Amino acid sequence: MSADYADLCSALLEQCFGKVVQAVADCLFSANTRTLSQIVSSTKLSRKEVTLALAVLIKFRLVNFEPSMINAYLPEYSLKREDIICLLRYSRYIHLVQSKYGSIGASIAEELLNSGSDTATSILVKCLTNGENKSETAENYRDIFHKMITDHYIIKTPELITNEDQDELIPKFLTTECDFFVPPIIDLQLLTKIQSGEASVENAQDSAMVWNLNYDRFHQEFRDDVMKLAVERKLGENAAECFRFILKIMYNTTDPWQRVSFLTYIFVHKRLMIVALQRASNQVTFGEIKQAIEKKSKNLDLMKHLDQYIALITDDSLGFLRKVGDMGGGQYVVDMERAFESLAFACVESVITERFGSKAARIFRVIRFKKFIEQEDLQKEAMIPAKEAKSLAYNLFQEQFIHVRVIKKAGGGGSGPAKAFYLFQIKTKDTVRMLLDVCYKALYNIIRRSNYEKSEHKGLIEKSQRLDSIVETMKERGESEDYIAEIVETFTPPECEILNKVKHRIKTLSKAELTLDDTIFLLQMYQHHCTMLPTGIQKFK
Amino acid sequence: MAGRGRGGKTGTLTAEQMQALGCVGKDMPQVQSAPPPTFPPVLSKPITLETTTAQSYQLLWKEDFLNRMRDSPYYIISASQEKKKTDVKDWREKAVDRLKYRAQAEFNYKAMPKELNATSRKRTAAELRPKQVEKKNKNIEDRLKQLEQKELKSGGGGDNDNDEAKQDSDSEREDEQEDPDAALDDEMDEENDYANDYFDNGEAYNEEDDNMDDGPVY
Repeated sequence: MSADYADLCSALLEQCFGKVVQAVADCLFSANTRTLSQIVSSTKLSRKEVTLALAVLIKFRLVNFEPSMINAYLPEYSLKREDIICLLRYSRYIHLVQSKYGSIGASIAEELLNSGSDTATSILVKCLTNGENKSETAENYRDIFHKMITDHYIIKTPELITNEDQDELIPKFLTTECDFFVPPIIDLQLLTKIQSGEASVENAQDSAMVWNLNYDRFHQEFRDDVMKLAVERKLGENAAECFRFILKIMYNTTDPWQRVSFLTYIFVHKRLMIVALQRASNQVTFGEIKQAIEKKSKNLDLMKHLDQYIALITDDSLGFLRKVGDMGGGQYVVDMERAFESLAFACVESVITERFGSKAARIFRVIRFKKFIEQEDLQKEAMIPAKEAKSLAYNLFQEQFIHVRVIKKAGGGGSGPAKAFYLFQIKTKDTVRMLLDVCYKALYNIIRRSNYEKSEHKGLIEKSQRLDSIVETMKERGESEDYIAEIVETFTPPECEILNKVKHRIKTLSKAELTLDDTIFLLQMYQHHCTMLPTGIQKFK
Repeated sequence: MAGRGRGGKTGTLTAEQMQALGCVGKDMPQVQSAPPPTFPPVLSKPITLETTTAQSYQLLWKEDFLNRMRDSPYYIISASQEKKKTDVKDWREKAVDRLKYRAQAEFNYKAMPKELNATSRKRTAAELRPKQVEKKNKNIEDRLKQLEQKELKSGGGGDNDNDEAKQDSDSEREDEQEDPDAALDDEMDEENDYANDYFDNGEAYNEEDDNMDDGPVY
């Protein structure tokens, strides 16, 4: 975790939960675990404020607690650092749910995000009372809630182990994976009673079951979209649809977040070698793909030329699909590692093109293709004049996109300069990590700038909001248009111009936030699939 | 030999290394002696961002969500900030505050460590108080009855006042014996009293006064 990421997390938490939570989270970010008294002493906040902040962070699943190693009755708190960036993606989650389940699904997801985690009955009551679509029945809400659970978009939190005999200082939870996606029994009659105030939420049968959004199911969908879009852009819509079916079949037998983690040690020529056994998904046969497409697709063109589309995806330089055998019309595996390596480097190349120009991108590509290359060879291979090639290579080196490897010649020694070869190379993991840090920093700067713009023009923004609300109420009252226009004119033209400029600036910054998050997501996927770095991504979260 | 050997890798190359890489004379980049500018000039204009319908939906929702969070009880403002705010509050902020007060934070304290549940302590204290009040109320009623009976029995007299005083003190003692919680509370109060820790040995007595007597020093 870099300092840039720490700053970003701090800014995100301040945006959503205020300064107290930010201070507590900052304190937790700098350590693995901390006790309540340690947090109180280091933040210099009151104990009451710290406990409230911790309760909020636990409710929103951003803090974990465990009994201390020294004292089993003393809880220690730790921050889920990887999950804080999810706060930035809430709008994407809602948009996905909206497109899949309509406005009912969106309001369920919205209530879940607003409250962090809650029981099914409580969420549905809130949706029915606060939701925009009040005309919808409770039954519809319940059905969509169940559907979202079976599709794994909503997950049950581990159940609390209750001991009647003793009042425990640190609660314990029972984690059973089979229970995560079992829909709860929701009493519709009770829902109407709660709405009318005849009963309370605590009377519900499911009061012990707490639900929340399964972030990584959303991330899985985003990842698939990234891959499908890449195939669509390069090979067309039919190929993208074919790839969508392949992914769907793959998930039947493969863990969606499988990493290159199945390591084994073998001896080759008396040397201990570490070999990653499972680098790709389980196999998918041509027959399976054909069956699935015939059943669920109406695309006749795809059905007719399915073998050619599969061959197209397999032969493509992106390397998403790999043929591993001929059984059953052909066996294929989805290679996530290769896929995200090519996607991440396409992203890095585009960044270089935008910052240093296309010639620098060519130099970067040449180094990547050759793996190790000397300066003189580089200018020849890239077909760029020597002086320009040198300056571009140095710029890339200075910004840490490329690296230099020194290979010393044996037996140099004595007088004169040591003889050595200086080779350019790309340390892929380092380059991606550097770019990720740049993205975090940029995102932090965007948030700061946006906050600055808002605070600088606070008076003007509030004035316009107040004016809008007054005009609205006047319209409701049925006041004359001339009178309304007179009120609107209190907002002078220069004020109006400044406000429009500020609004445009804030909107551009918000758009940049979303675009940057796309890049961050892609690079994080690279880290998950191509490195062993901890990413916090798992099947059930 | 400083700067050589097994030291950590530096971000830049040495002059020797630069020469080996082909940078000679004018090609050599200038040595950086100051941090880069905070706002360096942008060499090429960045691409303008396109707004899709999905993005505009997300932007609107996000703005709405952040506003909602700011008005929610989960947005915690420290006591010092709140003090500052109350001094300069307009009608809108006050209305928001009222809304916040109405929408209380819902925490499942059962699923959290017990030390986070600050309200549980308060409840115990609050539970104690009504008991005391009830007891005192009962005592007053009993006492009035007792007094009435006495008045009826004795028909009034000067010595009765002393008797009553005695009975008063007796009944108070009984109360204390009956109500151990209250006694505990009293003890706690004494413990919390900062005056308990204060001890004056009398050495500093009159020290300040002496100075004051001399009058102001110019």
